[in-house]
Amino acid sequence: MSLKTPSAAQDAVAPPSGRTASRPTLQNLLRIPHGGLIVVLVLVALFTALQADSFTSSQNLLNVLRQISVTAVIAAGLTLLMTAGGMDFSMGSNAAVTVSVGATLLHDGRSTLVTVVLTLLLATLIGLVNGLVVTYTRVAPFVATLASAMLLDGVALLVLDGESITIGQRMWALGNDKVLGIPYLCVVAVVVLAAIGLAMRFTTFGRDAFAMGGNEHVARLSGINVSGRKLALYALAGGLAGLAGLMLLSRLGAAAPNTGGLQLQLTAVAAVVIGGTSLAGGHGTVVGTVLGVVLLGVVANALNLLQVNSYYQFVVTGGVLLVAAIINEFQRKSAPGH
Amino acid sequence: MTAVLRVRGVTKSFGGAAALKGVDLDLYPGEIHALMGMNGAGKSTLVQVLSGVHQADGGTVEVNGRTHSGLTVRKARRLGIACVPQRRELAMGLTVAENVMLGDLPTRGRTVHWKAVKEGARAALSGLGIEIDVERVAGSLTVAEQTMVEVAREVRRGGRILILDEPTACLSAKDANRIRSLVRTLRDDGVAVVYISHYIDEVMAVADRLTVLRDGAVVTSAPATEMDPASLVRSMVGRDVVSQRPERPAPKVESGLTVRGLSHGRAVQDFTVEVRKGEIVAVLGPAGDAQSRLFDLLSGRQRPDAGEMVVDARAVPFGRIAASLASGLRCVTGDRRTLGLVQELSLDENLMLAGDRFARRRLHRRGELARRAAPLRSSYGVVALTGNPPVGALSGGNQQKVLLGKWLETEPVACFLEDPTNGVDVAAMADIHSLVDELASRGVAVLLASSSAEEVMRLADRVVVVSAGRTVAEHDITAITRDELVATALGGQPQ
Repeated sequence: MSLKTPSAAQDAVAPPSGRTASRPTLQNLLRIPHGGLIVVLVLVALFTALQADSFTSSQNLLNVLRQISVTAVIAAGLTLLMTAGGMDFSMGSNAAVTVSVGATLLHDGRSTLVTVVLTLLLATLIGLVNGLVVTYTRVAPFVATLASAMLLDGVALLVLDGESITIGQRMWALGNDKVLGIPYLCVVAVVVLAAIGLAMRFTTFGRDAFAMGGNEHVARLSGINVSGRKLALYALAGGLAGLAGLMLLSRLGAAAPNTGGLQLQLTAVAAVVIGGTSLAGGHGTVVGTVLGVVLLGVVANALNLLQVNSYYQFVVTGGVLLVAAIINEFQRKSAPGH
Repeated sequence: MTAVLRVRGVTKSFGGAAALKGVDLDLYPGEIHALMGMNGAGKSTLVQVLSGVHQADGGTVEVNGRTHSGLTVRKARRLGIACVPQRRELAMGLTVAENVMLGDLPTRGRTVHWKAVKEGARAALSGLGIEIDVERVAGSLTVAEQTMVEVAREVRRGGRILILDEPTACLSAKDANRIRSLVRTLRDDGVAVVYISHYIDEVMAVADRLTVLRDGAVVTSAPATEMDPASLVRSMVGRDVVSQRPERPAPKVESGLTVRGLSHGRAVQDFTVEVRKGEIVAVLGPAGDAQSRLFDLLSGRQRPDAGEMVVDARAVPFGRIAASLASGLRCVTGDRRTLGLVQELSLDENLMLAGDRFARRRLHRRGELARRAAPLRSSYGVVALTGNPPVGALSGGNQQKVLLGKWLETEPVACFLEDPTNGVDVAAMADIHSLVDELASRGVAVLLASSSAEEVMRLADRVVVVSAGRTVAEHDITAITRDELVATALGGQPQ
């Protein structure tokens, strides 16, 4: 870490009482929640802005916002679920099923309202089934939802039967229109993120998630209906995956094979982990997740603008995930009470 | 005789709070040196500085005449300083032999020489007079046996300064005796033993020298023969601690908690007890006996094979946590780490975790939570250095008070308390005893599971003695002396 050397040396000389919050040392940055992440994000954005003029154009920024909105909705649900000690690898695949089923229904001439209601119900039901398996068979969530992810990816392909289905102008507004200059997709994502964030902080439902993730035995003994809560959380994750699927469908205007799926899910998982949510449960923040989603979106966009070979996208995303995870670990260790 | 370890003026602070303020300590080979102090007095920090986990801010550590300013874990180990922590650190899936030889497995060519592993481990164990089959899996050992294996491992690695952190906590009298005789063997072999314990009687019996820490500084350091229990407690706490039976109102006639014919496998067989409102009944038994199963069975975590429970004249079905809680029974675990508190959550949130769920609150606001938690904090004497830290950052005594506060302020009809003073210092113990007294005075039926005869004599109105899963005796506390009680608990084998 070349960044660390100057500030760390300075800090070692100064007496402990001399650490004032005003000095922008790395130590102090680590004290700010998500400090390290914000620094990385700013650096990446600055670098891209300097290298590619088109990065700061409103057209491009709106594009980035549209792209990350879908991931953000999945990541929001996942943040809450992972905080509660759960895991769902199938949300992206659930979204893929929603995309293909939704497109098929619209193509068959169902009304938009019916399609939306049916697909959201289906997605929620899929989430609920995940929850039932995890809660009552004690199969590890990782395994159970990875299995359902593969299964659902297959189902999505079966529904489309290898073809692309366009939905014409249906749901076009959701995917492409703006309100007050902000894309609808982004508005939906912000509403979802805000709702989850507020629920995690200000409702007993959210605090139950923290308690369950921290120690499930204690949560159960304290009178929290852990099984019920788990079912609700997995169903919620499913429902949000459905919503993400509809957003994706409206943005693309068509359902093609391999839209969404495990790849989308892994991006969302990476964003949540970058945001500092614990894989073991017990802590997580929506703010961190937002930063993670934005960081990954900006990195992907930067690689596009800088005309980097698209195969490098995976390499870079993996690298960003690794660096962020290491920074989070440093930050966790310097937190008080540790 | 020269000191093998000489600590001079060691200081250490964490984020501005001084944990050690210039501590001096001398360790001599062939001596058991007891380190005493209340929770948060700085014992653990001192041990961590000695074993290299934390680096001292100032002062020197001199080992075998050579001064070392900063110890790392590796360096401390090379110098022969070994630490057996309170939480056992064996690889639970490996055999005893592998655990003893871990990090130094004898090899032949490039493969492990299993015969040599077993022989080496056997030699290491028998050298200390420990009789444990080296082919057993570490996870199947009792806590006492695990401690012994850890000690043997550290001695084999060349540990000449051995730090034992509460090696007899949560052990039965028999197992504790085995550990104590092992410690004496170590001393006779010329090892310098640092012995940390909260049990005053034990320390007086086993230690050659005592050092008492209070608020990060050494209060006394003297040969054990020059100290007596009363002066020891006074120097630990800084004042006299009185924990005597107060006058409590007589129990009411009606029953608060009745358990009949409770059976679960071989661990609990036909256990029956009736606790009237305002009465404290203790279940005393060797560690790990029937009383240690009651928490799981009464709280609804496990369904017993047979039996019935009546709380406040209403039958309560077994095996459902919700039903147990709804009946007004509150079960307080003795294992606060895994079953009691959510370590990452804040003090206030842990304190109100159960109460808020009973009240069916939907919203959660920190300010309001702090307002509701404040009276509980003060009435249970929970002290935190900074506002509202994660509960895991508190000392053991404070955590235990949080746990009690969490449950006892939810209008209990009956209470089951499991080892309520597990791992807390004398002052916190006295506080907790008064809390339990007060609970009974409020007319709550209290069932107390304990493995400490002192605690039972201090708190209980009646005592049920269990052994090997069966009830072997039942006495009014006034009709039995402490020594008789210990004798019954240890010797009361059923026919």
